[in-house]
Amino acid sequence: MKLRSSGREAEKIEPQMAPMIDVVFQLLIFFMLTLNIVEPEGDFNVNMPITDSAAQSDDTPKFPDIKVRLVANEDGSLNTIRLGQVNLGNGPNVFAGLNHEILKIIGKPGNPITKDMEVELEADYNLHYEYTLKAVSACTGRLDSSGKHIIRYIEKIKFAPPVGGSKASS
Amino acid sequence: MKIKSNKSAVVDVDMTPMIDIVFQLIAFFMVITNFEQIQADERVKLPSDSLAKPPEVKAADELVLNIGFERNAKGEITDPEAYIFYNGERIPVLKFGPSFEQEARIYKQKNQNPKEVPVILRADALVKTGLVQDLIKIAQESGFTKFAFKATQKTQ
Repeated sequence: MKLRSSGREAEKIEPQMAPMIDVVFQLLIFFMLTLNIVEPEGDFNVNMPITDSAAQSDDTPKFPDIKVRLVANEDGSLNTIRLGQVNLGNGPNVFAGLNHEILKIIGKPGNPITKDMEVELEADYNLHYEYTLKAVSACTGRLDSSGKHIIRYIEKIKFAPPVGGSKASS
Repeated sequence: MKIKSNKSAVVDVDMTPMIDIVFQLIAFFMVITNFEQIQADERVKLPSDSLAKPPEVKAADELVLNIGFERNAKGEITDPEAYIFYNGERIPVLKFGPSFEQEARIYKQKNQNPKEVPVILRADALVKTGLVQDLIKIAQESGFTKFAFKATQKTQ
């Protein structure tokens, strides 16, 4: 009986909490300090063959390139977008318009011919990069209605030499 | 005297709920934290686009270049010239050729073909397109062929 009672007393002994809490707080503070909030970033791949002329010579022309011309204002903002000969104008919906026109050209998304098609972007030298990127995005596809998957239009994007280069290639 | 000798001094606080919460917090921060080293420069204000999705397969090696402007505390551009922020240095975009050569040499020493190494361009939204294209041209002279543009994912 005596042994048993001593055993019962042992049950009541609490484990030492203080060191654990110390360590746990240390961990907490460490993770709080190392936390850095980064916006998720994504990539747009562009094809840049080393020499344009060589690549063009061995590719048999299957489809003419879709030419997208981006015209800039003096200050680098977007003036107009021209798709081939069609002027898409300017304004908040111009990239949606470009997206729509590209869809009209390819017929339907995932069309096998899109593998052979290329978009050639020709931008003014001083155009702000964000507009170029938006144009690239408008040509590559759009998000589906759920907003999670990308419906691909044309994967291959290339760039024509910039128009009106001020101090290009030294 | 009788009150003082009471056990109240020995009675300790119930720690269980606090530890519960603290463990929750630790778990939260552990999940949130990413130790991935991002070679991002906070001076670069990336353009945003809804199609910018993080790549599913990450290349083992990539050359990340930050192209941006010097900005003051308010985020205004103080110097109209665009620079590449590279290894803590500030190099004008058109003078980056030697650094590309050096990078290409390093990759060759590691038995990697610079052709296979993607060059990730993190360019500021206000950088001139022509300048980015010039940079690509300079990179091509050193043998780099894969390029990708970075953009932040637009959150609507």
